[in-house]
Amino acid sequence: MALEEKQQHPGFYAILTMLIIMAVGPILMMLINSFKLDVDIISGTSGLLFMPTIQNYETALCDILPYEPEHLDFCALKFGGAFINSLIIALVSTLLTLVIGCMAAYALVRFRFMGRDTASATTLMVRMVPPAVLLVPVFGLWNNEFCIDKASWLGSLIRDNFGGRGDVCLAGTHSGIILIYVAMNLPFVIWILQSFIVQVPRQLEEAARMDGAGPFQVFFKVVLPLIKPGLAAAAIFTFRIAWNEYLLASALSDRDTKTVPILIVNNMSEFNVEWGVIMATGMLLAIPPIIFTLFASRQIITGMTAGAVKG
Amino acid sequence: MFNISKTICGVAVASVLMVGQALAGPYDDYADTTLVVNFPAHPHYDAVRKILPEFTKETGIEVEVDQLPYLKMRERQTLELGQDEGDYDLIAYVVFSKADYVYADQLENLARYFMNPKLSDPAYDADDLIDGYVYNIGFAGGNKGYLQGKTGSLFGIPYGSETSILGYRKDIFEKHGLEVPQTYDQMLDIACKIPELEPGMGGLSSRAASGHHASHAFLLHLAPLGGRVFDDSWNPIVNNAEGVQAANALKTIVDCGPEGASSFGFGEALGSFLAGDTAMFLDTTVVAGQIDDPAKSKVVGKVGWALHPEGTRRGSQTGGFGIGIPKNAENKEAAFLLMQWLTSKKGDKLVALAGGNPSRFSTHEDADVNAKFPHMATFGEALKHADPDWRPIIPVWGKINADLGTTLSKVLTEDLDVQEALDGVAERATAIMEEAGYYTWNK
Amino acid sequence: MSTSTSFNRLTPYVFLAPAVVIMALALLYPLGYMIFGSFREWDPSQAMGESTYVGLKNYITLWNDPNFRESTFVTLKFAISVVTVEMFIGVGLALMLDRNLRGMSLLRTLFILPMMIAPVVVGLIWRYMYHPTLGIFNRGLKGVGLESVDWLGQHALLSVIIADIWQWTPFIFILALAALQSLPRSALEASRIDGATGWQQIIYIKLPLMMPVLIVTCLLRLIDAFKVLEVILVMTEGGPGLSTEILALRISRTATEFRELGVAAAMSNYLLMLLLFITVLMLVYNRVMEHRAARASRMIEESD
Repeated sequence: MALEEKQQHPGFYAILTMLIIMAVGPILMMLINSFKLDVDIISGTSGLLFMPTIQNYETALCDILPYEPEHLDFCALKFGGAFINSLIIALVSTLLTLVIGCMAAYALVRFRFMGRDTASATTLMVRMVPPAVLLVPVFGLWNNEFCIDKASWLGSLIRDNFGGRGDVCLAGTHSGIILIYVAMNLPFVIWILQSFIVQVPRQLEEAARMDGAGPFQVFFKVVLPLIKPGLAAAAIFTFRIAWNEYLLASALSDRDTKTVPILIVNNMSEFNVEWGVIMATGMLLAIPPIIFTLFASRQIITGMTAGAVKG
Repeated sequence: MFNISKTICGVAVASVLMVGQALAGPYDDYADTTLVVNFPAHPHYDAVRKILPEFTKETGIEVEVDQLPYLKMRERQTLELGQDEGDYDLIAYVVFSKADYVYADQLENLARYFMNPKLSDPAYDADDLIDGYVYNIGFAGGNKGYLQGKTGSLFGIPYGSETSILGYRKDIFEKHGLEVPQTYDQMLDIACKIPELEPGMGGLSSRAASGHHASHAFLLHLAPLGGRVFDDSWNPIVNNAEGVQAANALKTIVDCGPEGASSFGFGEALGSFLAGDTAMFLDTTVVAGQIDDPAKSKVVGKVGWALHPEGTRRGSQTGGFGIGIPKNAENKEAAFLLMQWLTSKKGDKLVALAGGNPSRFSTHEDADVNAKFPHMATFGEALKHADPDWRPIIPVWGKINADLGTTLSKVLTEDLDVQEALDGVAERATAIMEEAGYYTWNK
Repeated sequence: MSTSTSFNRLTPYVFLAPAVVIMALALLYPLGYMIFGSFREWDPSQAMGESTYVGLKNYITLWNDPNFRESTFVTLKFAISVVTVEMFIGVGLALMLDRNLRGMSLLRTLFILPMMIAPVVVGLIWRYMYHPTLGIFNRGLKGVGLESVDWLGQHALLSVIIADIWQWTPFIFILALAALQSLPRSALEASRIDGATGWQQIIYIKLPLMMPVLIVTCLLRLIDAFKVLEVILVMTEGGPGLSTEILALRISRTATEFRELGVAAAMSNYLLMLLLFITVLMLVYNRVMEHRAARASRMIEESD
């Protein structure tokens, strides 16, 4: 801060430019390559001299295009369907995590359940658990234990209405993946929201209660609107994890519930490395987080720093 | 009189109609069934997807394809086949999955279906299927449990059979007056000469990446050089002189190969050949289609094909996929009909013309197929040398294979001593075999 | 009246219940299930009930398994090197860029892009950039007439570390910057009046005061470094050899490829114990440092 009035050294700007290129360059390169044909990619003319084509995106999205792309014999990559799966899973799990997390955070702060320390410690503990550690038990439980017998009334109801065979298990359903994402994200969301709820003045709530509002009304009408910035930060982080996660989704999804990351990893098949299409699918997966970052970077930074710096 | 003849006519027409009904086509009962099939992401099965609409048109049976990379496919199948009721009606399995699935009693024995007069097509001509592949991929319970033998029976039909073949750049060989290698010595010699003759070009591109790839590349050389993984009483002999020679051949190839060869998977190895960075390619026959595809390849029309060079014997790869019906499938009979249609003479020819790998002798000799793919004759010749005992197809192979692949990768990248590395593999393999009970009868 | 009070007494439980139920069902129970399963020989096609109890066998096998040891070693090497390098670069950048620049917020936005996009995508971008002939690095090297480098072959671990540094240095940068900007101005002013140079300010004032935040940052990053999986999976699949096969990847391979859920569970448990150990160690260290920092700032204020 001592330097704020000084003119910056030109070398400083050079370093700055280099940093920006390093941070954004690889992503731009993916964007450019996603518009190239494979022949252009392997031919080695690394520059910008090529005929841009949307063929790669057509290949990726062939199952939801209204027309049949000419260069394809059949639609192999059902990217559109996976995109919809990813959206359902990410949006629903974000919404659930926020509602449930908010309520829990509110209870912890206002009703003085456990100290904030206990909550922080739990958060840290849960954050410590790598998804790979959850892989084995979640795979076993979701496939074998968290099941409804297909002969029971609920089981047969589901089988009659939704088709499929065998016992009704959590594995292979959207709900199964959503459940684990909600559980994984809850501690973090509770932790972040706590720091925002603490700042809501008590008098406001008491005033509302005087007017005859019940605890739920107070929560939804008074508290929630006041912690919007916190909610935004929490939402972005939850969405990001649910949108990007690969390992657990790949263990839990079946052919109808595959998410985009699974499709991308699967598509790097050894027999046919089609860089153009891979880059296009990567770009499609990256677009939502990039949009969030560009429009809500302040909330993201709040979310990131809330824990470490203030907590 | 007139009336009578009219009546007779009517009766005749009616009886023809009735007979027609009694002789309903084999597919009629299954029209509108939807089969769920699990196929690998593999050029042959890409070709299969092109011909499936034909099947649906002919039979009215719909087919929904779940296509996965083949290691993923295997993981998925492990899970699906283990359940009481599975999703898949027909699966394509990697040749080494045969042992696991049959041993766990998860595949239907096909005898029941071929005996069923309503399902079995009399014109199927099973003798026309390539013998080595039927025994290698479809057969279980024979000699050693996985080879041809009197105690065996059929659980699947080879579909997408591959063998190894040598592709070489005709232009480069001509330019430098090189002979197409017939033996291993010649091949290794040329592989290391190329980088000197053509700076920047690798000799032979081989897969070598850690795990499955490295192990596969090693096995490619092991059989022709006279080695085996196990002797007749299941003792590991990968570390004998032939084994060491095979590993050294692999190392030579990688060292004289294109840049970055030690981390190549199959895709990268092929990519390097397609980009014109290597002069030779020794691997599976499935690549032919891509090499001739101008959208992917820079070497269209420049590639010649030759048999896998001879070491102490001919021994090209037996590999690829078979198709079988899971025990827990929902529509087994319709699945059999699809399986039979795909592997019939007609289906085999259709898939060959679509760029797949035929599994019948007749298709390899077929004039139309040869007109479209001139290399088909060489490929058919190569299939005759395919070695059914190319790798041990036993349930614990997956584990030994993984260890072999990781260890060989260390040889290639970290300069681990070849003999020492293979000794380690043999020692760990012995422990695995011991635990699995292969030495029970030695005691 | 009485109903409303009882409702009030129940309210906190009602608010907490969904979170508790979900976490118990989908986190605690699975963890217990994993510990239980680690004592069993267990195949993916079996339910836990059908598996057989084998005591400590899985743990002992792993302990003696050179591959597992190598994997652990690779994991530690990876985690420690990425965190060390990222801390240095991240904090360094924060110190350098802690000035009132126009467009600072845009800069921060661009910097956090890499860590917002999916690890799978990061992996494929880098796999492409490291490609022996197509990749930008080897093309660049060739362009200036140098030997090309076998990135994902001979230098796989280094390549993976570089990719992780690219993705996660911004995290440390952002946190360090936030810490810097929340430092008490009085201390800095005072030191400036006392004639401290820029470097002296950094070493004697800024860094010690930032220390508690930096330790927490370091801990968070270290924990996350043990979770990295997708980037490596896409880039190298753990190869060549075991040179990039971190524990998370080995767990997933053991479970899916080798189909030994019991062993994979035991491995998960080892990893969890390792992480627990590191976390506790760092937290204890943090307590100590917090005390020192508090004393330091008090001293500065007193001298003021």
